[in-house]
Amino acid sequence: MSRFIVRRFLSVIPTLFIIVTLSFFLIRLAPGGPFSGEKKLPPEIMANIMRKYHMDEPLVKQYFRYMGDVLQFDLGPSYRYKDQTVNDLIGNAFPVSVMLGTMALGTALLLGTIVGITSALKQNKWQDYAAMSVAVLGISVPAFVVGPILMLIFALKLKWLPTSGWLSSRAGALTLIMPIITLMMPYFAYIARMSRGSLIEVMRSDYVRTARAKGLKESVVIRKHVLKGAMLPIVTYLGPAFSGIITGSVVVEQIFVIPGIGRIFVQSALNRDYTVIMGDVIVYSIILIAANFVVDILYGLLDPRISYK
Amino acid sequence: MTDDVILQVKDLKAYFKLDEGLLKAVDGVSFDLRKGETLGIVGESGSGKSVTNLAIMRLIPSPPGHIAGGEVVFMGDDILKMSDDGIRKIRGNKISMIFQDPMTCLNPFLKISTQMIETIVLHQGLDKKAAKEKAVDMLKLAGIPAPEKRIDQYPHQFSGGMRQRVMIAMALSCEPEILIADEPTTALDVTIQAQILELINELSERLGTAVILITHSLGVVAGMCDSICVMYAGRIVERGTADEIFSDPRHPYTQGLIKSVPRLDKVSTQRLYSIPGQPPNVINLPDCCPFFPRCERAMDVCKTKYPKVAELGDKRTVACWLYGEGK
Amino acid sequence: MPSIDKNNDRATNEFNQYVKPVSLWADAWKRLRRNKMAVLGMWIVAIYMVVTFGAALLPFKSYTEQEMLHINLPPSFKPAGVVALGRLEERKVELEAAITRSGRADLKQDLTRIENEIIQLKGEVDTDPKHKRVYILGTDYLGRDMLARTIYGGQISIMIGLIGTLTAAMIGIVLGSLGGYLGGWVDNLIGRFVDLMYSLPYMLVVIIIMSMLPTGSNSIFVLYIAIAMISWLTISRVVRGQIISLKNSEFVEAARSMGAGSGRIIFRHLLPNSLGIIIIYSTLQFPSFIMNESFLSFLGLGVSAPRASWGTLVSEGVQGMQLYPWRLLVPAVSMTVFLFAMNFLGDGLRDALDPQSKNRN
Ligand SMILES: Nc1ncnc2c1ncn2[C@@H]1O[C@H](COP(=O)(O)OP(=O)(O)OP(=O)(O)O)[C@@H](O)[C@H]1O
Ligand SMILES: [Mg+2]
Repeated sequence: MSRFIVRRFLSVIPTLFIIVTLSFFLIRLAPGGPFSGEKKLPPEIMANIMRKYHMDEPLVKQYFRYMGDVLQFDLGPSYRYKDQTVNDLIGNAFPVSVMLGTMALGTALLLGTIVGITSALKQNKWQDYAAMSVAVLGISVPAFVVGPILMLIFALKLKWLPTSGWLSSRAGALTLIMPIITLMMPYFAYIARMSRGSLIEVMRSDYVRTARAKGLKESVVIRKHVLKGAMLPIVTYLGPAFSGIITGSVVVEQIFVIPGIGRIFVQSALNRDYTVIMGDVIVYSIILIAANFVVDILYGLLDPRISYK
Repeated sequence: MTDDVILQVKDLKAYFKLDEGLLKAVDGVSFDLRKGETLGIVGESGSGKSVTNLAIMRLIPSPPGHIAGGEVVFMGDDILKMSDDGIRKIRGNKISMIFQDPMTCLNPFLKISTQMIETIVLHQGLDKKAAKEKAVDMLKLAGIPAPEKRIDQYPHQFSGGMRQRVMIAMALSCEPEILIADEPTTALDVTIQAQILELINELSERLGTAVILITHSLGVVAGMCDSICVMYAGRIVERGTADEIFSDPRHPYTQGLIKSVPRLDKVSTQRLYSIPGQPPNVINLPDCCPFFPRCERAMDVCKTKYPKVAELGDKRTVACWLYGEGK
Repeated sequence: MPSIDKNNDRATNEFNQYVKPVSLWADAWKRLRRNKMAVLGMWIVAIYMVVTFGAALLPFKSYTEQEMLHINLPPSFKPAGVVALGRLEERKVELEAAITRSGRADLKQDLTRIENEIIQLKGEVDTDPKHKRVYILGTDYLGRDMLARTIYGGQISIMIGLIGTLTAAMIGIVLGSLGGYLGGWVDNLIGRFVDLMYSLPYMLVVIIIMSMLPTGSNSIFVLYIAIAMISWLTISRVVRGQIISLKNSEFVEAARSMGAGSGRIIFRHLLPNSLGIIIIYSTLQFPSFIMNESFLSFLGLGVSAPRASWGTLVSEGVQGMQLYPWRLLVPAVSMTVFLFAMNFLGDGLRDALDPQSKNRN
């Protein structure tokens, strides 16, 4: 097991390296820079700025300098927010996004499996049809439609919930409700469909027939023999789901004005704030890789047929 | 002897409602099983052997399947009319079943011990510890070496033959009246097949269990069964004791099956006989003898009507126009 | 002796029952037609296609023409002049009340302006044909017809979806079948690349690409390339798997033994047999293209003005949604209905073409 973890961990390094390198050159090659948007600066000030950020050096040198810094967990200064480093910016925003993401994924997982199981047990009854139509709706409606419509109804018309903000604001935990619903919708829907399908398949499997032939009650059959096998595919889906949620949070943070890394990402992309974009890409990639890593290990723990040698 | 009939199947029908039409997988099957007897059910793939036995246990997947009629009388009660609780007390306890493919029939996520103990605890009211001891004993009986150790392993750590032994141990752990063995050896190596059959034979004799042995080859049932039912397209076409069936087969289908069994006593240079053609698709079958397209002795009447079942003696029947009034 | 006419006619079976000869596709079509939601989805998609692409031929208003007197009109079947006039008069009453009751003298100016506008509008309302227009879905913040804008927005969104799907399918098919058929280092290289791309947060990459474009460039083209470049991954994996499983099948061996070359085997034998699964994946991917494009447009990184996609319209609608909810709801609902239909159609196709599918959910 530990050998597997180490090997898996080592295989991550080249991926990360390639991601960082690719995005570094991609971004530098783009026309325009972080300072081109501002009103024309006098050339000597421009030169000063360039020198300060080492942008007058050859590209390759800049690359190695950047890589060296990154290895020491220093993501550099922000070009836009003059007095903040990328580490500060991301450090403040990261917990917010991770909290939003995990809560959304947790809710999606919980509700999705409950709805999926109910609808598999009521297969082809109205509950099933209703749940599955809702699920297709959940998959079809994009977050940037769900979010504003929820906001319109619950915040602006009914005034039950605050329109935006995050925990620290006066409304407290109420601020979480709409962002979480918006973010989890498609994943909830997908998990519901997936767990229904997988449950139905397992309920038809040979080993469940064996369990029934033993005289076990249907509830025991489901609990003891069906659920575990049926939930395994969901575990494999958690990796992609998490990465989707992370991307999705870019929009949700935008809509509900949440100070997370998604919002920083869009802002810095619009401002061409290179170092911040780069830092964000690195953080996102690490989150994704870590999520897939955890899922792999989880899968191995749940399925006795898999052994890590 | 006639009075210790423990299972009586009368005119059992099990249909599947499919998109293509109504599939009469089992269409009027009747037979008796006596205490301690071994009954063979023989027929080609798709003839309805498994569905017959799943229907006896009320395990037909529904939808699309349902039991369309008949009676299954077990020790005086009709299983088909029992409450759900009633049938559950019989499953795994009075009648147990082992299936065709041992690779898929054990739950891959649970230890063998968990899977065996739950049945014993459920039906025999033992506590977990006693149940585990019983399970170990059963595994030992079933020929699993070092059962104390192996019982805590998962199914994937067992070979196919070993898994089938586990299935047998599990099925017999509550000392049932009837063991239904649905092609228990089809998925196994030839060398292991004989061992498994021998094991079933030996254990059932020791425990006094009656066995319904399903197979598609007459060769398998020859040595083991007291009586035999031959199925074709959802119906029993011939029924009798093993001796009668082998020494005096009446139905052309049975005759064909027997001709196609490889014989060790008659060294032959000829190619093994096989019945020409394919078994029919039983969806929307017309009223006729379903065997006529493949039958060498088919007559005009065979194409228009299913033959009356002719009683040829005690428990000896054949459904063919060559016999009975038709003759 | 029995006289059985065996199989002299292929359309009857051994029991002389008529058997309809069914091809895979006919069979699939039959199954699809039985699925009510899929049929509904198909109709909705068809209607959208006809309306959006036939828009130029249909009597819709211009989606670019601005009309300052018709700004933010609510949906109505009445002529625009009447609706606008009604709104101005309401406003006038409100202002008068505010001035007399709360003594807000500062609003006097507004009142006179509105009174002037009313007079102007009254003068035009019966003569100027533009006031006879009917905006059944209202207008936006520049007085443009929401119906026309939504239809043209749909045209762009659907177009991007179509082109994106086709591009992704093409790249995916070529790379997938190359990898699957040739195996070896080619397969390895492609596989590694696909793995790498999978581990990228890919919408973020698109965001970076989009943000790098010089402002004002023709971004639609780049946009769909950017999305398609990263969306072929799944298709290529699926095609590769299909090709590998078919590669060693009997009919391919037969073709090879008859001297067919690799190209011929791929195009005549392997791909047609993978067509079903390619169609399924493409249909299911189509809505996600539209979503991704709209996602970018919503962030302000997608289609740029004067063009607008559904995403642009939704994001414009969000700006004033409290006062003018129709500006959000009209494009949002249109888009959702289309995606809903597309998803049902995709599910239906999957069930019809691949009834044993394990990936059903
Ligand atoms: N769950 C099901 N759904 C639809 N049709 C079924 C189902 N189970 C069985 N059938 C059909 O019922 C008929 C009889 O099947 P059955 O499994 O009893 O055959 P069998 O004699 O056991 O064959 P085999 O030797 O292959 O096990 C077949 O035509 C089969 O297709
Ligand atoms: Mg069977």
